[in-house]
Amino acid sequence: MISPVKIWRNQKDITKMLGKIGTVIAWTIIRVPPTGFMKQAPYPLALITFDDRTRIMVQIVDCDGSNLEIGTKVRLVVRKTIETTEDGIIPYGIKAKPINKLLS
Amino acid sequence: MDTRIAIIGTGMTHFGELWGVSPRQLASDAVSQAVVDAGLTKKDIQGIFVANMLSGMLGLQGHLGALFAEELGIQVPAYTVEGACASGGLALHTAMMSIASGKYDTVLVLGVEKMTDHSPEEVSSALMGAGSNEERLAGATFPGLYALLAKSHMQKFGTTERHLASVAVKNHFHASLNPKAQFQKSIPIETILKSPLVADPLKLLDCSPVTDGAAAVILQRKKTSTSSHCVEICASQIATDTLGLANRSSLLELRATRYAAHAAYIEAGITPKEIDIVELHDCFTIAEILAIEDCGFTEKGEAGKMIEKGMFTLGSAKRTVVNSSGGLKACGHPVGATGVKQIVELADQLRGRCGKRQVKHAHIGMAHNVGGSGATAVVHIVKSV
Amino acid sequence: MKQKKNAKIHAGIVGYGTYIPQYRIRTVDIARVWKKKEEDIISGLGIQEKAVSAVDEDAVTISVEAAHAACQDAGIQPKVIEALLIGSESHPYAVNPTATIVGEMLGIGHQYFAADLEFACKAGTAGIVMIAGLIQSGQISFGCAIGADTAQSKPHDALEYTSASAGVAFLLGNTSLIAELLHSTSYSSDTPDFWRRDGIRYPSHAGRFTGEPAYFTHVMGAAVRLFEETNTKPSDFDYCVFHMPNGKFPREVGKRLGFTSEQLALSLTVDAIGNPYSASSPLGLAATLDKAKPNQKIFMVSYGSGAGSDAFMWKTTGNITKFQQKRKKMKRFVEDAVREKTYIDYVTYLKQTHKI
Repeated sequence: MISPVKIWRNQKDITKMLGKIGTVIAWTIIRVPPTGFMKQAPYPLALITFDDRTRIMVQIVDCDGSNLEIGTKVRLVVRKTIETTEDGIIPYGIKAKPINKLLS
Repeated sequence: MDTRIAIIGTGMTHFGELWGVSPRQLASDAVSQAVVDAGLTKKDIQGIFVANMLSGMLGLQGHLGALFAEELGIQVPAYTVEGACASGGLALHTAMMSIASGKYDTVLVLGVEKMTDHSPEEVSSALMGAGSNEERLAGATFPGLYALLAKSHMQKFGTTERHLASVAVKNHFHASLNPKAQFQKSIPIETILKSPLVADPLKLLDCSPVTDGAAAVILQRKKTSTSSHCVEICASQIATDTLGLANRSSLLELRATRYAAHAAYIEAGITPKEIDIVELHDCFTIAEILAIEDCGFTEKGEAGKMIEKGMFTLGSAKRTVVNSSGGLKACGHPVGATGVKQIVELADQLRGRCGKRQVKHAHIGMAHNVGGSGATAVVHIVKSV
Repeated sequence: MKQKKNAKIHAGIVGYGTYIPQYRIRTVDIARVWKKKEEDIISGLGIQEKAVSAVDEDAVTISVEAAHAACQDAGIQPKVIEALLIGSESHPYAVNPTATIVGEMLGIGHQYFAADLEFACKAGTAGIVMIAGLIQSGQISFGCAIGADTAQSKPHDALEYTSASAGVAFLLGNTSLIAELLHSTSYSSDTPDFWRRDGIRYPSHAGRFTGEPAYFTHVMGAAVRLFEETNTKPSDFDYCVFHMPNGKFPREVGKRLGFTSEQLALSLTVDAIGNPYSASSPLGLAATLDKAKPNQKIFMVSYGSGAGSDAFMWKTTGNITKFQQKRKKMKRFVEDAVREKTYIDYVTYLKQTHKI
């Protein structure tokens, strides 16, 4: 079980990130995941930059990497992050979803 | 540096999957060799600087200074220095400061790591303790972080997967000449290219292994009256950068390496061209390419091509030999021990003790040790006098 | 806000947001696994494919998507929300409210009332009734009612072809309405047609008992009550929306009540994405609101097993056009989300729904 207090603290950053639009500047596909990410693997991991020049490292969701490239636009969303025990608090966090190709 | 510090003894265990060997036994083995090499007894050691990253996280054992002091049977000042994979270099720097301060004359630097007691997933997760919280929450692994660096380098400079694989080929060749290396055979480039992907484009054989091992060096204040031929450390520099990759100023270099190397050259009063042998931090093949460039051995973007052509390999004339020990990739990477092992290799090379992998006329050597994805870089320069 | 005694406060929808996960599994691909004849399944249920949540989605994440979109498109700061009710059959916790996890992530602040609701597939509409009540009584000015589910079903069970995932968030208020709630009424009973015991993973159902005595009795019961209480008939409405457990039931009940297939057409999201339980009739309403013109009346009846139905009479206002344009610009129409899809096979479906 992951510390509920740590989870609670980590989630405080979610509100200000939710819905931000960013651009991929580097990406890879994690095929050998760390503990807590087994069910999600393989998944793309990317560095995203925003208009204000800040950057974050996130997992990309709803994407197998085939359409991903430097410059792909993404939107920040909330998803479950680290897989935990059945009786633990569920950690949520920020991930990035490629923006609908029809948009923009 | 006014105080002259000599490496008077070195020792290291075999590096590999040492199932039956405990951390205490690893330490004992390496230290005994170093003590004998130095012509001393354990009682001559006045302080112990331990380098280790994972003992607390994986083995639930901290307080390693006291543990190894007990194991060695000497009740001297002892404590751990930690900086992820740079722990070894940092412990060496700390040991040097203790001598330079005048507090001690003869000290032991001991790097130890026991990694094979735990599953690969547990080890992979624990190693991410060297990264940032954001990286852990994103499901990053170290292969993943270096893969991002690799992709950026390939995108900008046209570095290829073949260039990356060439690093592994070279280092496995060197390791085949090193009786203590984890891997004892050369590996053909096609085998490396065909190994399974871990984090695109890095494949299994682009990554350093999980290893157990210990390395030890004994440092002593050099008295001006001593005339004997010895190995001196003439530069010791550390630089730090942001913990996570996201806040780096560039993905095309490890700036901490560049700063530490530059400062080391100034401290030693030399240029990269004068370095005969260098142990670079090749936790992944791309890391060696970055290190060669960031230490100034080539122009930015050129290292991949040059390695593929055979430069920096034992036996190829006119260029610095990189990772004669086999590097992290092929000699193995017991995290806390690596930085110390690098110094062991340099000191042994400078004293002509490396047998089949001896670099001829090795006079000046350099060690480059990195923590995490480049948040810490430690550079030492040693020379024979 | 103090209201004059007896002055009627008009409550209604200020904005809404919808979210449908990207993944789809075709019902024929499920049928093949169990060696059923594909045509039988499709003709029996009328569903081609259903929406499947990603392995890292749940009622919390889906609610956040829907509510965030609602606030953005309505131009509402989350802090003005004074009450948040989330209805679901797949709340991630038996104890620990989905509503406050979602509220915290949206940035609602701390000055609000929150609770989780359960009433099978009508948990979402129950929230609408309750928020509207808080507004009409003058206790709050703004509230949010969400219906969101990542519905579970036992492999090889009939429900496997229909149980889907989606979420809809309604921002309700008393001004700048895009659709006014003219009236609502309900019909409830104890009818054990479909249930899930605490701690048990998959729901159970009573087969054909879920038809006449359950779905039809309650939907018709609430619908007839709504006609009587408002003195209306089907032809007074432009559109109708019914809970959609499959493709057949809403069409059948619409016909029985006297609605035409044209009135029902906009709402039938079930054909393309299956039954997302608490989000089902809400999604049908949202799909209708995406296209409705100003001053049109919508007749809506939800259904929740156990059992009960909530019936609503909505009337769109002149403000709806601007809201639709915003949703269209952001490609957030229900039909856009329906079209944005990636097919998965049965094994991936089992992985994503945590069965393996």
